[in-house]
Amino acid sequence: MAKWSFSNPTWTPTAVGDTATMTANGACGILGGSASQFIKTMEVEIGGQATGSSPMIFVVARDSTVAATSITLGTNGKNAPLSAFTAALAAAQVPFFSATTMPQRAATLHLLQLSFNAYGGLVRWLAATGEEITQYGTAVNVGEISLSCFTGGTMGAIATHLVYEPD
Amino acid sequence: MSTLRRHEGYLIIDHRESPGVTPELVQQRGLDPNPVIVGKNQVYESATVTCSHCGAVVILSPTRQRPRHYCVKCDHYVCDKPECGLECNPWMKKLDESDLLIKS
Repeated sequence: MAKWSFSNPTWTPTAVGDTATMTANGACGILGGSASQFIKTMEVEIGGQATGSSPMIFVVARDSTVAATSITLGTNGKNAPLSAFTAALAAAQVPFFSATTMPQRAATLHLLQLSFNAYGGLVRWLAATGEEITQYGTAVNVGEISLSCFTGGTMGAIATHLVYEPD
Repeated sequence: MSTLRRHEGYLIIDHRESPGVTPELVQQRGLDPNPVIVGKNQVYESATVTCSHCGAVVILSPTRQRPRHYCVKCDHYVCDKPECGLECNPWMKKLDESDLLIKS
């Protein structure tokens, strides 16, 4: 299908432990648009914008509680196709920074841990073809991934993007 | 001839202009027994692989001595979790099974 970029030019995470409810605009994620939608995430980038030392522990993980109700891109969130010829899917994927019920990170389903300092730091992960992070449907533990900050450290402003491909 | 390197992704953590992170911060959380710690003025680049059995991304440590787990059935690396090394149960197969559950 087509690749999309889910990005935010500036936001500040809110640290949260596993199986605790994330804070709107303090974490982000991608939820499947239907019960049979398959999504591959092949790139995660976090660029630091903090004005003072801000070491943070980022986690890409599956969610044991998925976002629900009034799910939106939140403050500054963007979602755009990489190709100008991309048409919207019948059941559009649901990237989000905000929801009435924010998700909870699964304690045992961490996919990628990225500790970095947002004061001048940068993190970028790229998957090889066929080795992407995959998710399917909308159910807990398989249908949603999130990018959030684990407790500890000092929160600071960052920019992020995730490149993903919904089918 | 293809090699297992075709499965490798790429990770960069760039702290060349940053105070970086300390081992104390990362290790106190107990999330990972061997976390990547990139300190002040350091840049870290590494290959990554995705575990075929659970879908987690593994950052390949260049200092690792013991062999990595490999599944001959699905021709992929698998991570160090005990359940991933027991038998071939690919993540994609689990997704297929969840699809069948949805459609049944």
